[in-house]
Amino acid sequence: MKEILKDWAIEIVILMIAVLLALFNPSKVGSALLAATNTYVNLCIVIVSVALLSSFISVTIPKQIIGKIIGRQSGFKGTLIGAIFGTLMVGPAYMFYPFFKELRDKGAGANIIATTIGAWAIKAPWIPFAITVLGWKFTLLFNVLILVFAILSGFFVGAFFKE
Amino acid sequence: MSTNLIEGVILLGFVCILYALYFVKGDKAKLKTAAKKSVRMFLQNSVRLYSVFVIIALLEQFLSPQGVSQFLLKFKGILGVIVGELTGAVMMGPAASSYPIGQYLFAHSASVSLVAAFLFTWVGIGVIALPMEFKFLGKKFTVLRNSFTFIAGIFLALIMGVLL
Repeated sequence: MKEILKDWAIEIVILMIAVLLALFNPSKVGSALLAATNTYVNLCIVIVSVALLSSFISVTIPKQIIGKIIGRQSGFKGTLIGAIFGTLMVGPAYMFYPFFKELRDKGAGANIIATTIGAWAIKAPWIPFAITVLGWKFTLLFNVLILVFAILSGFFVGAFFKE
Repeated sequence: MSTNLIEGVILLGFVCILYALYFVKGDKAKLKTAAKKSVRMFLQNSVRLYSVFVIIALLEQFLSPQGVSQFLLKFKGILGVIVGELTGAVMMGPAASSYPIGQYLFAHSASVSLVAAFLFTWVGIGVIALPMEFKFLGKKFTVLRNSFTFIAGIFLALIMGVLL
């Protein structure tokens, strides 16, 4: 029981906040719950895929293979794979944290995961929209710098991890 | 929102092919274990993610984009960069909904640095998702990555301010 409470502490706190706010402003909390449900439904296929993919990797792929491709020592190739994967993906990065954990357990380097999460801030499919709203100079420079800092983030975080 | 759907369908298609190939060539018992594990994972992740979505939606309900913009426009210079970063770190949601806020800020003569800082941490740091990052990737990783991103945001904002 204590374990369960500890494991789900954040979710329980969020539930309490929502209940508390609902006492003061039920209509806003109602719309928020509706919006959250809408987001969940929209992302449900991705959540299903992440669960299937993570458990597949955890059960079937040997540790050495992941380590070879995106391990700490995978160098430029691993960084490139992380950066490209992060750039192409849209949707929230935290949805993929369980997947990253599985990869880490299988030997993926902390540096590669940090670069991937950093590059996640580039939303390739949204770039045309960003250009119309923010201008092409801003959008282009912004995304190039995100990529540069994503790679640097990998170097920085990786420097503190031995495995 | 439709991009999420496209991404989901591509991802699910890819996963289905993986499972099918492994069904034909690999160990069926292992595949069964994986499928079982994924059900539990899906349920657990669903609860965690739904909680994050609820907090984001509550923030959207109680903090309007106009309110946030008005608040940000009060700050200038390096303080603007820091406040922009902190605000972006708290706010979350699809990147596409942050761009119009950036546009509004520009229209009201906010500096390039402030807007860049705000948009960068909007997607780069998520205070609300920190507990998830803690849980799945560890305390050390989370602290290192987010501190680096915060400092990188200051540099990114200043570089953009100088070049644009």
